[in-house]
Amino acid sequence: MSRALFSLLPIAVLSGCAVSIPEAALRLPESTLDVRSMQTRTLAAPSEIDILTATIAVLQDMEFNIERIEKPLGVITASKVTDADSKAEKSGLFVLDLLCVMGGGNDCDAMSTAQDDQHITLTLVVLPSLARGDEFTARITIQRVIYDKMDRIKALERIDDAQTYQTIFDNLRKSLFLQVGAK
Amino acid sequence: MIRSLGLYSVLSLCLLAGCATSPANVAGAGTQLETRQIQTRVYDTLDKAMTMRSVIATLQDLGFTIDQADSELGTVTATRLHEYTMRMTVTVVERDGRRISVRTNARIGENSVTDANTYQDFFVALDKAMFLTLHKVD
Repeated sequence: MSRALFSLLPIAVLSGCAVSIPEAALRLPESTLDVRSMQTRTLAAPSEIDILTATIAVLQDMEFNIERIEKPLGVITASKVTDADSKAEKSGLFVLDLLCVMGGGNDCDAMSTAQDDQHITLTLVVLPSLARGDEFTARITIQRVIYDKMDRIKALERIDDAQTYQTIFDNLRKSLFLQVGAK
Repeated sequence: MIRSLGLYSVLSLCLLAGCATSPANVAGAGTQLETRQIQTRVYDTLDKAMTMRSVIATLQDLGFTIDQADSELGTVTATRLHEYTMRMTVTVVERDGRRISVRTNARIGENSVTDANTYQDFFVALDKAMFLTLHKVD
């Protein structure tokens, strides 16, 4: 018994804080093309500035704050903090807490792990077409951090919902139409 | 029993000792030259703007959002949130007046990425994006 414990000592020292770097952390996944097409649209506009201006208006419509703009590279980064409460999740956690109390548990606090708010970051990048002067591709990427009721990070994720991107691009096209028309 | 308890406490102390941090690791580890070599790739182009756009496209392909981009200084900083937080800074500079050098460094959480293969994967992806951007295939 003691010998086994002693043999664990060096492993314990070495593994105390070991964090492995995931293999293929920067390798393109097979889904790259699908994700890219979900996040990208071709837009017709007189200039890159028109798309950036229309984008800023849409982001403001969606209650984002503009963090940074780099005009020469066509990059806009924006963020917002919103409520991430989920009634379905709360109901499930309530039942868990209830079962815990009925079972005689003392530390029944599953509800504290419920989603509370989410910090969303969005980047839009405009790329001019070399073939046509009035054509641009716009690509949007969105990520979010979800926090629970105790302000602990519950999830880190990329938004992969195609409908979300479609809605933003629909709004961007409308905004672009208004932007160009108002000139 | 008491002896086992003693051993368990020593074991726990060792685990904690494994986490002991050195005072403010600002300079980082690894030799300067070695690190630069695995983090840098040189391209035969003079188009800095298109190289930067390719870097941004690559970062987007890899699931990053762009935190900051500066075309004048040639830097792009990006973050990926997926199970863990990965941050990258890429710098694009002209070299010898005829080539473009791209250097990248990555961190996952509190750890610096030192694995040469990981940087190699990034440059494989960037090579494709450079080709697509400069030849406008996509």
